Amino acid sequence: MRRADIQDEPATYERLVYKNTSVYHYMRISLVLENESTRLSAAQLKQLIVSGLRDLYGEVGGAFPFDLLTFDESTLTGVLRVYNSGLVKLWSALTLLGFYQNELCFFRVTQVSPFLLTLSGNSRELELD
Amino acid sequence: MVRLKSRYLLCEVCVSDRRNLSLLDDRAIYTATKAAVARAHGDYGAALSSLGFSVKYLNAHTGIVFLRCRKSHYRLLWSALPFITSLENRGQRVPCFLNCLHVGGTIRTCQKFLVRYNTQQLHRMLPLCQSEAERSEIRKSVLSCTLKKEADDEEEEDE
Repeated sequence: MRRADIQDEPATYERLVYKNTSVYHYMRISLVLENESTRLSAAQLKQLIVSGLRDLYGEVGGAFPFDLLTFDESTLTGVLRVYNSGLVKLWSALTLLGFYQNELCFFRVTQVSPFLLTLSGNSRELELD
Repeated sequence: MVRLKSRYLLCEVCVSDRRNLSLLDDRAIYTATKAAVARAHGDYGAALSSLGFSVKYLNAHTGIVFLRCRKSHYRLLWSALPFITSLENRGQRVPCFLNCLHVGGTIRTCQKFLVRYNTQQLHRMLPLCQSEAERSEIRKSVLSCTLKKEADDEEEEDE
């Protein structure tokens, strides 16, 4: 109960809460192959991921847009960008992908974040001097 | 109390040659739909749609089909229907397409819609009639449209 003589003070600060600021999710992935010396180009990697999506989610799922932002051929690591609604589909397709041209392989997802800046560093590779 | 809800898709099978229509059977439609969902939505879609999927009713004279599926993923099935191009029956391939007319929660609502739809089709057929005998025939069928009778007794032409 408020007393009648107490006036409301004007708010001195304003707090904004955003539910979903980022439309995309970014994933840092690395591909681990059975034969260590096989090399892939960026286009071949994207083709592999699209084929995995198409196996699991069909033509509709395979057409979902995602981007390979960077790809390092020597270490086979890259950054994927996908819309928020497709994150679960992409991640599950990466999990269930097992073969690349009759060779065993698997994807290791190191980081996932809605902001690209978070992917720039992680505590696993942190060097403390 | 948790109730298992389902959706009934009322579809019409359109074939170019009406004689082929009588060769339909529900197994052919079942396998064709499952294959189309597997192609369009992959392993995930095939597994999800096979949970509650069945062909509940098939009328070979008019080509009306009731497909039953779970409420949570009836859209998966609905979106895969345009990908069905032919039905396979005992080695014969019949090119056709499935036209979805109505989505209902129960068979009874679908039947009510079917009766209304059939009366509309008959009204549309009336001006196209050639002879008076056909016209009186149609008028009689329109007046006798009720839910009690079998909804598929009326003559219906695909427009």
